[in-house]
Amino acid sequence: MKKFLRQNGLVLLIIAALLSVLIGVGAAFSKGNADPLSNAVNTLLSPVRNGVSAAVDWAEGVYTYVFRYGEIQDELDQLQSQVAQLEEQVRAGEEAIRENNQLRKLLGLQERRRDFVFEAAKVTGRSTSNWESTLTLSKGSSAGLALGNCVVSETGVLVGVVTELGDNWATVSSIINVDIEMGGLVSRTLSAGILEGDFDLMTQGKLKLNYLPTGAQLVSGDRVLTSGKGDVYPSGLAVGRVEGVFSDPSGQSRYAVVDPDVKLDSLIEVFVIKEFELVE
Amino acid sequence: MTRQDLIHKWLIYALGLVPVWLLDAYILPRFPLFGVAPMLLPAAAAAVAVLEGALAGTGFGLAVGLLWELAYPGGFGGLVLFMALAGMLIGALSQFALSQSTAGCLVCSAALLLVLDGLRIFRGLMKNTATLSSMLQVAVPEVLLSLLWTLPVWLLFRFIFSRVGGDKLA
Repeated sequence: MKKFLRQNGLVLLIIAALLSVLIGVGAAFSKGNADPLSNAVNTLLSPVRNGVSAAVDWAEGVYTYVFRYGEIQDELDQLQSQVAQLEEQVRAGEEAIRENNQLRKLLGLQERRRDFVFEAAKVTGRSTSNWESTLTLSKGSSAGLALGNCVVSETGVLVGVVTELGDNWATVSSIINVDIEMGGLVSRTLSAGILEGDFDLMTQGKLKLNYLPTGAQLVSGDRVLTSGKGDVYPSGLAVGRVEGVFSDPSGQSRYAVVDPDVKLDSLIEVFVIKEFELVE
Repeated sequence: MTRQDLIHKWLIYALGLVPVWLLDAYILPRFPLFGVAPMLLPAAAAAVAVLEGALAGTGFGLAVGLLWELAYPGGFGGLVLFMALAGMLIGALSQFALSQSTAGCLVCSAALLLVLDGLRIFRGLMKNTATLSSMLQVAVPEVLLSLLWTLPVWLLFRFIFSRVGGDKLA
């Protein structure tokens, strides 16, 4: 021990303590934005992160092509038949839209619309810890991203919310992460609740729709959307489907377990909703 | 050992840490085994502390803690001091109580991983974010998988130690 102290061991420990305090204070005062040190390091590491991510994506693509060609072919066949069904639905939908517009004109109602401003970003990193579910994106505040922005997949399915922001990177808490909390709505019954991450469910890749109304009659497979309550997050974003309804241990309230539509493991590109305007 | 030798030696150790960090941060989380990804940084800190002793273990632990705090999301500062202290304790243990061997590294790495996950479980219980059983379902495979990965990490740093470790450059 004497030798350790004589050889500047104590100095090293004091430096470590000072650095800990410095980072801790920086993190406490930055309120979600990355502290200056983390921001600088992550900004410098961005090219490395992007490069490694691109290399792993490429290797995964090659592996999938070589060893899972049959699965891809089956998926393609399924998607082709799905496209045919959807085209049929689109044709029916177009007629309904025309009729809807005529009726709106007759009744003098304002047209409902959703205006989103998107920013495309690559997923360059995934949760490095097994205790949370996050994604790292290739864009940050310099591209106009802000804390609390919703992130969706290319099909408009909710991926998560921006929770940490740097100059050219952002961390997204996925919808199953324990810190997620936003209004949710079951589209069939219009039952509103709070979408919450739960550690037990996070490990299974699911989340909760909590504080359901007592009379809500949900069934497995019901679609869950964001409610947009409070105007913090946009409404109508697809979240997932109800898997089951349970009572909490106290028996006071009921919650639904929601299986998210998004496949977090296979995300490569996402879209950040920088601004939104809803006319109901 | 001259200052230049010392810089040369620690530069090589830092280079050794690069593949470990890339695997830990970007590659292994993409391919979780049994639903979890291993933690390689504690294994790296333990391996160098076992090989080089308390003082070098403190310095390398500090560097690993700094990397963990700054390059990974959600840093809060505490890991810098924690890893420096862990490096010091492991270095001292391996110098005076355990052997500077693979077994010694595995024991120290296991202890460090258990303390890290123990603290996470304690925090989870305090904040009431999850039940003990669900946290153990994550912690146990995480520690076991990380211990499996300790072996290649140890071999990498032992190779570096055999070339530039101790006073070999003097």
